[in-house]
Amino acid sequence: MSLNQLLIIVFILLIIWYLSFSASRLDRLHHRVETSWATLDTLLQKRAAIATEIIRESNLDPASAYLISSSARSARDAAISERSEAESVLSESLKMIQEIAYDESLELPSDLLVELSDVTAKIKLAISLHLEAVNAARNVRRKLIIRLFRLAGKAPEPVKFAFEDDVL
Amino acid sequence: MKKINIGMVCPYGWDTPGGVQTHIRELTQHLLDEGHQVSVFAPVTNEENISEEWLVNAGKPISIPVNGSVARVLFGPIASSRVKQWISQGNFDLLHLHEPAIPSLSLLACSAATGPMVGTFHVSSPKQKAIYAIGPILEPIVEKLTARIAVSELARQTLKDHFDTDAVVIPNGIESAQYVNANPTIHWRNPNTIGFIGRFAEPRKGLQVLIDALPIISRFIPDVRVLIAGPGDSDEFVKGLDIGLRNRLAFLGFLTDAEKVSFLKSVDVYVAPNTGGESFGIILTEALSAGTPVVASDIPAFQAVLEMGEAGFLFKNEDSADLAKQIIKLLRDKELQSKLSANGKLSSQKYDWQVVADQILSVYEMAMAGNQKVGLTSEGRFWNRR
Repeated sequence: MSLNQLLIIVFILLIIWYLSFSASRLDRLHHRVETSWATLDTLLQKRAAIATEIIRESNLDPASAYLISSSARSARDAAISERSEAESVLSESLKMIQEIAYDESLELPSDLLVELSDVTAKIKLAISLHLEAVNAARNVRRKLIIRLFRLAGKAPEPVKFAFEDDVL
Repeated sequence: MKKINIGMVCPYGWDTPGGVQTHIRELTQHLLDEGHQVSVFAPVTNEENISEEWLVNAGKPISIPVNGSVARVLFGPIASSRVKQWISQGNFDLLHLHEPAIPSLSLLACSAATGPMVGTFHVSSPKQKAIYAIGPILEPIVEKLTARIAVSELARQTLKDHFDTDAVVIPNGIESAQYVNANPTIHWRNPNTIGFIGRFAEPRKGLQVLIDALPIISRFIPDVRVLIAGPGDSDEFVKGLDIGLRNRLAFLGFLTDAEKVSFLKSVDVYVAPNTGGESFGIILTEALSAGTPVVASDIPAFQAVLEMGEAGFLFKNEDSADLAKQIIKLLRDKELQSKLSANGKLSSQKYDWQVVADQILSVYEMAMAGNQKVGLTSEGRFWNRR
């Protein structure tokens, strides 16, 4: 076997190694996107549940109570494509609760309010972790070798959850 | 939150003093106090210096000159297999890797492990670029981290520049109770005393800026004195200084942690004239927490800690005249001093470990949401599957 043939074999082996490395890297990133989304989803569900609970246990005026409970319901039932908009609406209406939280006459359940602000802080964190994961996965998917060999397979392109951070 | 088993990796020699080591020690202590299990894996130069039972010795570190000082790091095949051994025996719920982009234990652990991993990035100095230059090789490894923490906005920016990824900013923590309840030392407690801590011989610590400001200050405040704490050759430093100026300086040498706390409580004003290269400025938060008014150069890290001048005075970096002006203004006005002291104490509360460790724990919680445990990458390879 000549040196040339040997070099070609080594080169092919290197390419195969790199392909397998890239594929497992991408797989790991997709996995990260999924778990970070699952975490975020759970927290958002929890927030909607707390919002509903707060309305049930307080004596808010019917109009604001309706606003919050309906936005909480639509956030819980929203399809994935409408999810971020529905959640942003809920954030807006929850902001109202936080503004009036100091009003003693309203008898807002304080333990639930504390829980709400806890969950809100966690949601912020979960959003940034999720965005990071999505960005990393997208960056790797854009690489030539990954597109050329279709290493992403049938996995859908990860989408950014367009959550307005400042409304939280 | 349920109690978890954390594996923490320190990239630098455990028995050499340093910010990262202190951070890890205090965080570990706090996590243990809350009932979690922690094992810290770090290079150790001399086994006899180690008293912590939760520390696992990774071997002797190698000294590498970085950024004007020496970094004691550890890598290589032996270290790599020790990391794997530690991970496989630890049965950890989560790994917390400090400085995972520095070629040392954290990087090895990041490359060897799978599962929930949190990385904390401490550096921000652009001079470290040489060590970050291997970015494209490190990227696939560093992106395995489930969550990233940067200790300051600057460290986050450095991370963004080098790896195209974002991080959550959680500041360094301090034991604020220790500073609030500290007792001043009588012979340091003279009127109009300025304090400085740091390796004063290093130009970037900026002691020269303070010394150049002294002649102006002494014209307005005749009994002003400067107490300088920190390792270094003081005879070498004062050589060539005017004798009148020299008498205003007192070199205390290296202070122990307890002495440092008392020092910060004793001086009338703490001055941090650093000219650059600071990522966070933990010493400022410590001085603030002791209730000592702070005057610092307006480098970005200090601006952030002093909240743009709300919690302490800022002067134009490397401008001795401006520094003198700020110090004179402060020393002459007792009311201003107590107002600044109160503001500082208030703003330093967010750096207390109680607050900081809670933030870190919620990042842990977030990282562990996948319900996986920490394992080794090699276990997943088909020739190792059972």
